[in-house]
Amino acid sequence: MTAAGSIPQAVIAPELAWVGLAILLPLLSAILCALCAALRVKSKLPALITTVALAGSCFVIVKAYFAYSGPVEVPIFQWITFEWGDGKFQSFTADCALYIDSLTLYWMLFVTGLGTLITIYASEYMEEDCGKGYSRFFFGMSIFLFSMGALVMGDNLVMLYLGWEGVGLASYLLVGYYYERPSAVEAAKKAFIMNRIGDLGLALGIFMLWCNYGTLQYGELFAAMKDGGQTSVDWDLSVIPFLLMIGAFGKSAQIPLFTWLPDAMEGPTPVSALIHAATMVTAGVFLIARMYPFFELHPQALATVAWVGGSTALVAATIGMAQYDFKRVFAYSTISQLGYMFLGLGVGTTFGACYHTLTHAFFKALLFLTAGAIMHGFAGQLDLRKLSGLRQMPGWRIVSWTMLVGCLWLSAFPYTAAFFSKDAILFKALTSERGDFRFLGWVGLATAGLTAYYTFRVWFRICAGPVHYEAGPESHDQSHDQSHDQSHDKGKPDPTPEGESHGAFHPHAPRWAINGVLVILAIGAVVVGFPAYGHVFAHKENWVQAMMASSSAYQGACLESDHGTGAAVHTQTVLGLDPHTGLTIVGSTASIGGILIAWYFHLYSRKSADQLRAALLRRWWIRWVPICMENRWYVDEIYLACFRLPMWIGAQILNFGDRHFLDGVLVDGLAKFPIAVGKVFRPLYSGALQSYAITMTGGVALVLAWVTWIWLRGFN
Amino acid sequence: MNLIWVSILFPLVAAVVIAVGPSKSARWVAFFGTLVSLGALTIFAWNFPAWHNAQHFPSDVGPSWIKDAGTTLSVGFDTVSLLLALLTAFLMPLCILGSFSAITERTKEYYAWFLVLGSSIILAFAARDAILFYIGYEFTLVPMTLIIAIYGGSERRVAATKMFLYTFLGSMFMLAALLYLGWEHRLVSGAWDFDIDTLTKTAIRLPSAIQYWLFAALMVGFAVKIPLFPLHTWLPLAHDQAPTAGSVILASAMLKLGTYGNYRFALPMAPAGGAELMSLVAVLAIIAIIYASLICWVQTDAKKLIAYSSVAHLGLCMLGLFALNPVGAEGAVFYMVNHGLSTGALFLCIGMFYERYHTKDTDVLGGLAKRMPVWSSFMVLFTLSSIGLPGLNGFVGEFLCLGGTFISEHDGLTGYPGVLGPWYAVVAGLGLIFAAMYLLILLGKIVWGVYREPPHISSSTSHGGEATRLPRDLCLREIVILTPLAVACVWLGLQPKPMLDAIAPCAEKMLANYPKEIERHMSHTSAAPLASNDQEPVNELRSE
Amino acid sequence: MSGELASGFTIVAGSQISLALAISALLFVIGLVGFLCRRNMIIMFLCTELMFQGAALAMIAFARMRMDVSGQVFVIFILTVAAAEAALALGLVVLLYRRRETLSSDAWSELGES
Repeated sequence: MTAAGSIPQAVIAPELAWVGLAILLPLLSAILCALCAALRVKSKLPALITTVALAGSCFVIVKAYFAYSGPVEVPIFQWITFEWGDGKFQSFTADCALYIDSLTLYWMLFVTGLGTLITIYASEYMEEDCGKGYSRFFFGMSIFLFSMGALVMGDNLVMLYLGWEGVGLASYLLVGYYYERPSAVEAAKKAFIMNRIGDLGLALGIFMLWCNYGTLQYGELFAAMKDGGQTSVDWDLSVIPFLLMIGAFGKSAQIPLFTWLPDAMEGPTPVSALIHAATMVTAGVFLIARMYPFFELHPQALATVAWVGGSTALVAATIGMAQYDFKRVFAYSTISQLGYMFLGLGVGTTFGACYHTLTHAFFKALLFLTAGAIMHGFAGQLDLRKLSGLRQMPGWRIVSWTMLVGCLWLSAFPYTAAFFSKDAILFKALTSERGDFRFLGWVGLATAGLTAYYTFRVWFRICAGPVHYEAGPESHDQSHDQSHDQSHDKGKPDPTPEGESHGAFHPHAPRWAINGVLVILAIGAVVVGFPAYGHVFAHKENWVQAMMASSSAYQGACLESDHGTGAAVHTQTVLGLDPHTGLTIVGSTASIGGILIAWYFHLYSRKSADQLRAALLRRWWIRWVPICMENRWYVDEIYLACFRLPMWIGAQILNFGDRHFLDGVLVDGLAKFPIAVGKVFRPLYSGALQSYAITMTGGVALVLAWVTWIWLRGFN
Repeated sequence: MNLIWVSILFPLVAAVVIAVGPSKSARWVAFFGTLVSLGALTIFAWNFPAWHNAQHFPSDVGPSWIKDAGTTLSVGFDTVSLLLALLTAFLMPLCILGSFSAITERTKEYYAWFLVLGSSIILAFAARDAILFYIGYEFTLVPMTLIIAIYGGSERRVAATKMFLYTFLGSMFMLAALLYLGWEHRLVSGAWDFDIDTLTKTAIRLPSAIQYWLFAALMVGFAVKIPLFPLHTWLPLAHDQAPTAGSVILASAMLKLGTYGNYRFALPMAPAGGAELMSLVAVLAIIAIIYASLICWVQTDAKKLIAYSSVAHLGLCMLGLFALNPVGAEGAVFYMVNHGLSTGALFLCIGMFYERYHTKDTDVLGGLAKRMPVWSSFMVLFTLSSIGLPGLNGFVGEFLCLGGTFISEHDGLTGYPGVLGPWYAVVAGLGLIFAAMYLLILLGKIVWGVYREPPHISSSTSHGGEATRLPRDLCLREIVILTPLAVACVWLGLQPKPMLDAIAPCAEKMLANYPKEIERHMSHTSAAPLASNDQEPVNELRSE
Repeated sequence: MSGELASGFTIVAGSQISLALAISALLFVIGLVGFLCRRNMIIMFLCTELMFQGAALAMIAFARMRMDVSGQVFVIFILTVAAAEAALALGLVVLLYRRRETLSSDAWSELGES
């Protein structure tokens, strides 16, 4: 691990408070959208407000990027801050302040940029909901951008935590957007709760950091890190990276907390594109990159990240291969690509991880948006067996070709941007000193082949081949597609799923907002390759590397896969070749091979895919592979059986015990004691006046006798 | 001082006016009475000089009341009690407004008793005399019992009786402890005195073994009220049966008397006892968090769910208090106010749909987002506040309580050693996950999903009961009730700093004796802890 | 009043007080026995008055012994209260008689628990 430099000391710069607008504008937009909802605005006003606010936020970030000269801290106001002494551990400071370094700007640039584009897309995508959920949708989007801004730009870990939970809230609100669908409600809940598990880890990590360094501000933490911390609790400070990574695994859908992300596809597609593909799920990567120095507190911390990332990449890819819902395929590909990013972080290249985050943000947003356009046009059709030949349909060309771009990038086709970013990660893994990292590198290469296969499986099925389509489940749903298809749908009593409905169902092709955004994103996906092209072909400094090298993630920023220069000498080889050449050859082979296999099974001879599946299912020794892949390795079921069910049974027992034992037996039992005593003395109360008098006299006599006895004893 | 008495007595005067006046005007008189009370307290708080120095204001001793017994009518606030009294006074008018459509029979008695309830709670917070505190503390039971027993649900008598007897039994221990302290003071100085500060000074000079029992007795009294884990069973029943406004005041203000009692009496008076029993109370608090959260998970009654969630939340509050460091203590006090706001608001929300559908069963009612969008927005906001979403009020208290627990280590560098630590925080932190789970399940059932209504509702509305007069979604009055609460939740979440600054000196004052006590306690733990104290009481006498 | 005079009286009164106390005890016991044995409410009421007087006599005796008038003051109070109480109690008895047409206390046992 060569330290290219160190983290520059941040300067306090209150005059840069205008950068705070990048967070404030989405918040304002959220408030205005809430007002729109309260006033029942029926127009597209909320979309306009949000777009303008996000574009403004993006502009602010671009301006900040050009004004940037070194890390700055921008105080805004005091938030959760108090002190009880003058010592180091005698104050708690979590102010609302910004920490702006190159990592922050790098992240905010693509977050706000993609946010703006996807909002424009959504203004058309969501238009059927005008006056219904439209304001709510854009409220959620604004809250998301606000929270993401707080997460990335916050000056301390509590701000990060605010954003961390805030994006969880936005995700909850937006995944559950179609709240009348039970599956959407369930998915939203699941997303929030699984994230909360990670959040607990993050919170504990924050406390642990405070215990060791007495501060939560990044600048002070990085400074204190150099001095080595003091431990004030009985936990060793090496647990810090493990606690933080639990949070990262939750937010970025890594094993074991990945099952929420596929379910989160219940949300509207722009949400899936922005939150569950491009930005929110990369928050885990950001956290680890931001706190990278602290991941060296334990020698196995980064290795754990690498292992989790590598295995998530493989497992998610295998699941993605066997899904028929193409939005789910993309969801699993997101998990798989996030796995690559974690692998990159783990093996020690923050450059590779962050570069892959950037390229992934563009091509995956693009893929989701094309998927959304198709869903939108075909009334919610998501089954890739029921759509074919979109390429040849009028009005769908832009969608098809931009989807091809997305698919090529996702499968890391040679000399696309993603090829370089994935290459950077795998290179680092394969040339590592550690044998297990080299193994993970090979796992990553194999996964790259699987990725190419399942990606092009989708494209060859949907966009290529003969024209054929069926309407999705929403075609007879008046709430969706109302404005466009109502007239056509009314003539048709009930579209049978099998019976062909070419005559009755007309898919409506996307218009300018959707097409325009798709084209811009496709161009963007090409453009994000420029840093790598410039480096490879013109030997310029890689922009991403430069951004990483001046941030907290500098330790993994050095670009070792510097093709051409040959400066670095590596002990490891790939298949006996020079690692650069070897990796280029193997990586290209994996990618192209995967595409060719997909071409054979899903375009050239579609029947053979089913035959292969049937053949696999016939053989008992291999049968479990397709079954497990199709059923997502039964992870949800395992969680249900291992955690939810026992806890639920326990809760029922406790509930019963609380009512019938603790309250019924103990409390009421105690209350029965006086009643029982009363029963003994009850006969004394006969109702006859004289019996009371006798009792009283007897009592007085007893007292008198007692007093006399004491008197006789002489008061001792 | 006069303003304090105005805020206490004016509602009582209004109650008398209601009792003799016509029943039609009762609710407006009550509303006016609580508004005046709130206004007086607000003006007092505005001019309050002691926000930052942990002193009581006014600090002079009030008129003597029972001279030979040494009781006085001293009232005065420090920051914490003022915040809690303000919370109570703030919720009272909202509760009265919330009862307009819910209470239709015997309105005069209802509003009169409600005003008495509010007064006695404020009196308990304001009292600077232990006996005066006890009177306020105990007298809350009378109106609350009547409100539950007359206006409650089908099991209202059982619920009211249980609540009265249970909490009364608990507070007998507390009274005994306070009287004992007064007597101790008489032994030292020759005269009875029940001034809380004087009693505190007396108490901390007592030997450890006596402080141990003192703490235990006070704790039993307050633990029933909080309520802490094994002593909580009265609460779900009482909440379930109480009318909405009664639930609100019960959860938001009356339960706070328990935590406030810990802050004011148990912890500062018996530091040696606190040091001994701290880990026991913390373990109980953690059990409360997990236990109540799990029970919440399988509740189908919305009100019972929120009631159990109170047990869990106040468990976390107690944990923060017993972390015995400023982070936890600040968090705990902040959490008291926050819990009052968000749980009170949740009860109000549940009351609003109960008035429309006459059921609290989440299995038969659901999907209200389509029918009641405004209500749903409020409900979601308050639920998120209760979950502890950062940016809303719940987070600040929750985060600080948990953080305080985490850093509460014996050899910590904070200057405030404790005996909890990371593992306590891990287990208590599971409560955060559970809180998200059960509250989101509640939301998923009653707010989201397909609209479901109970089968009997269509017939009952056609009969033309009072429920039909309510619109489908919230009416203006109900929006007016919920809006101030929503604003307070958001504001305290974004700007907790002024309140944290105000609490800080009080928290430090409460903890002043603990660092030494904990050190001593820890050095003793190698030997038998209690036995050693019993044998050498003379050495334990500490000079103050 | 000088201490000597007072002490002189005490000595002289020593034998007298036991007499007075004996009479007072007698009165009290007669009243008590009467109250316990008789069923007629008026008689029972008279018996309570007897017990009163027994107590009052004891008080006067002690007051005389200690030369402290507060005992006598108490007795005057007792007499007054007893008079008021007698009016009330007799009224009650008349009322009860009207309800049940009997003066026996056995007719009124509603307070009984069983």
